[in-house]
Amino acid sequence: MTHQLKDGSQVLQVGVLARVEGEGGMHIEIKDGVVESVKLNIFEPPRFYEAFLRGRKYTEPPDITARICGICPVAYQTASTEAIEAIAGAVTTPEIQTMRRLLYCGEWIESHALHIFMLHAPDFLGYDSVIEMAADHGPVVEMALRLKKAGNDLMELVGGRAIHPVNVKVGGFFRMPTKAQMMALRPDLERGLEEAFATIKLVSTFDFPDMEQPYEYVALRHPDYYAIERGTVASSSGVEFPVSEFPKHVKEFHVEHSNALHAKFDDTMYMVGPLARYTLNFHQLSDRCKEAALAAGLGETCRNQFKSIIVRAVELAYAFEEAVRIIDEWKDGAAPSVPVAATKGEGMGASEAPRGILFHRYITDENGIIEDAQIVPPTSQNQPSIELDLKTAAQQWVDMDDHALTHRCEHAIRNYDPCISCATHFLDLRVNRS
Amino acid sequence: MSAEAAPRSGPLVVGLGSPDQGDDAVGPAVAHAVAALGLPGVETAIHEDPTALLHLWEGFDFVVVVDAVMSGKPAGSISVMEVGAGRPSLPPESWAATGRGGTHAFGLATSIELARVLRTLPRRVTIVGIEASSFEQGTGLTAPVTASSDDAVAIICAMARECVGSAT
Repeated sequence: MTHQLKDGSQVLQVGVLARVEGEGGMHIEIKDGVVESVKLNIFEPPRFYEAFLRGRKYTEPPDITARICGICPVAYQTASTEAIEAIAGAVTTPEIQTMRRLLYCGEWIESHALHIFMLHAPDFLGYDSVIEMAADHGPVVEMALRLKKAGNDLMELVGGRAIHPVNVKVGGFFRMPTKAQMMALRPDLERGLEEAFATIKLVSTFDFPDMEQPYEYVALRHPDYYAIERGTVASSSGVEFPVSEFPKHVKEFHVEHSNALHAKFDDTMYMVGPLARYTLNFHQLSDRCKEAALAAGLGETCRNQFKSIIVRAVELAYAFEEAVRIIDEWKDGAAPSVPVAATKGEGMGASEAPRGILFHRYITDENGIIEDAQIVPPTSQNQPSIELDLKTAAQQWVDMDDHALTHRCEHAIRNYDPCISCATHFLDLRVNRS
Repeated sequence: MSAEAAPRSGPLVVGLGSPDQGDDAVGPAVAHAVAALGLPGVETAIHEDPTALLHLWEGFDFVVVVDAVMSGKPAGSISVMEVGAGRPSLPPESWAATGRGGTHAFGLATSIELARVLRTLPRRVTIVGIEASSFEQGTGLTAPVTASSDDAVAIICAMARECVGSAT
C-alpha cells in the first residue's frame, strides 16, 4: 500500500511481508526526498515460549522449543540441550557431537536451499515469486527441490522427523542411525554437493546493488572447524568469550514499534548470520569452498548483505561436504546419549541457526524444574541492522517509483532471511493452508 | 512425475500437518485411519512440510491431500476441492502472501501451483480440508474436528473405491 500524506510526505507501507516466516511489516517515511524513519513492525505477541517453559521439566526444552520455528528446529534443540547439559555439568561424547553436527547440516541444507532459490532468487531475477520464476527456470527450481529434499531426508533419518525432529534428547539422541542407513543417503548428498557448487556459480552472476554496511559481526567460533552446532562467541572487533558470558555482552531492549525485542552487543548495533560467520571464520571453510567463494567474487570478508545469497550458497556446499565427511568417517556402536541428572543451577547454550546465533539460558531448581528461560533468536538481534539497511536502501533508491522502491526494500529485508516467528517466540496459531 | 514413468493407479492419501499441535493433527489422523482400513491399491503418507508433496506425489495419477484449514466455517466443516492438472490455477492471493501457510511462506497452495508450473502436478489432486479451531501445542484434536474425522475418512474411502474400481 502506498499512502500520500496531506503535508506532502510520502509513506511506503507493506502491511504483511511475503516470504518471511511469521508475520511482519515495514514502515518507511520519506519527506521531501529524505528518508525520515524506518520501522520494521512485528505484530505477534512476544515471549510466549519463555513463559511456557517455566514450570516444565529440564528434559522438555528440546521438544518444546523445536516448535517455535518450522525451519530451524535443530537450532533450538541444539542450543537448549547444550544449556541444560551445562547446568548438570554433563559432557557428551565426540560421537554425540558429531551426530548433532550431521543433523544440523540437514537443517542448513534445507533452510539455505529454500531461501536461496524459493525466496531470495526471485528478488534478483525480477519475479514476484518462485512460481513465476519456475515458468522460465524450471530446471533450476527442480534442482532446488532436490537440494532441499536432501536436507529433509538427512533430518528425517537423524532427527526422526523432517520438520520437528523427535530423536533429540537432553544428553544426546534416543537412537543413533546406522552407517548403512546413512550410506543410503550418500548418493543424493554427493549429487547435492555438486549442485551446491553449481549454485555458487549461478548466484554469483546476479546483479548486486552496491551497499556495504560497517556493522559489528558476531558469530560462534570453534577451534577445530567452521562453527555450526557449538563454539565460543567471537566478534569482528576482536572480542571472544564463552557462551556463558553472552548475557554480559548482549542486552535486549524493547522498542515501541515492535513486539520483538531488539539487542545490542557491547552497546553497539551488530549483526549475526551467514555474513558474520563467513567473515569471522572464512579460514575454516574447506579449500574447495574457499576457492569457489573467491571465484564467485567474494573476498575473505563480505559486507554487502545483498551478496548473502552467495555466502548461503557457499555454506550450502560446506554443509553437504560436512555431511558426506561425517557419514564416511562414522563407525557404528557409539552410545546414543549420556545421562543428565536433574540439577539446580543456571546454564547457557548457543548454536548457529541458518540465520545466526541462537542463544538459550535456563535456570532450574533441584528437581530440574525450569524456573526461568531466556531465548535470544537471530532475527531479534538483527532487527536494528535490518532497519538501518532499509533506511540506507530507501535513501539510496529514493528516486525509484513506489513499486520498485518497495520491492527493493523488501529485498533488503529478505537478505537476512528473517524468521519473525523466532523473533517473537510465538508460533502463528492461525494457519490457513487452503 | 517424470514424463516417461507410467502413473501409479492407486490413490495416494497424504495427511498433512503436525501430529502434536491440536487440530493440525487431523490430516495425519485421517491418513492413519485410511491406512488402517487396508484398502487395496491405496497408499498413504504423512508429512508436516507442504514442500514434501512435490516429491511424495511423483508417479501418482490421483492424490488426496487431507489438511486442517481455517476459512471461517464452523469447526469440523469439511471442504473438498479439486485442484489437479487441467483444473484452473488457484488464485494468486492464495499463495502470494502465504506467510501463515507453512515454513517460510511455502504452503500447500504454493506447492500445488509450483508443481502446476513445473508440469509435475498429478492429473487429479483432491484437497479434503477440515475446518480447525485450535492449533495449541501438545493438545489433541478438538471435539468438533474429532467428530468430523470419520466423515472425512468415509469421503476419502468413497473416492478411493471409485478410483480403484474404475482402474480394474
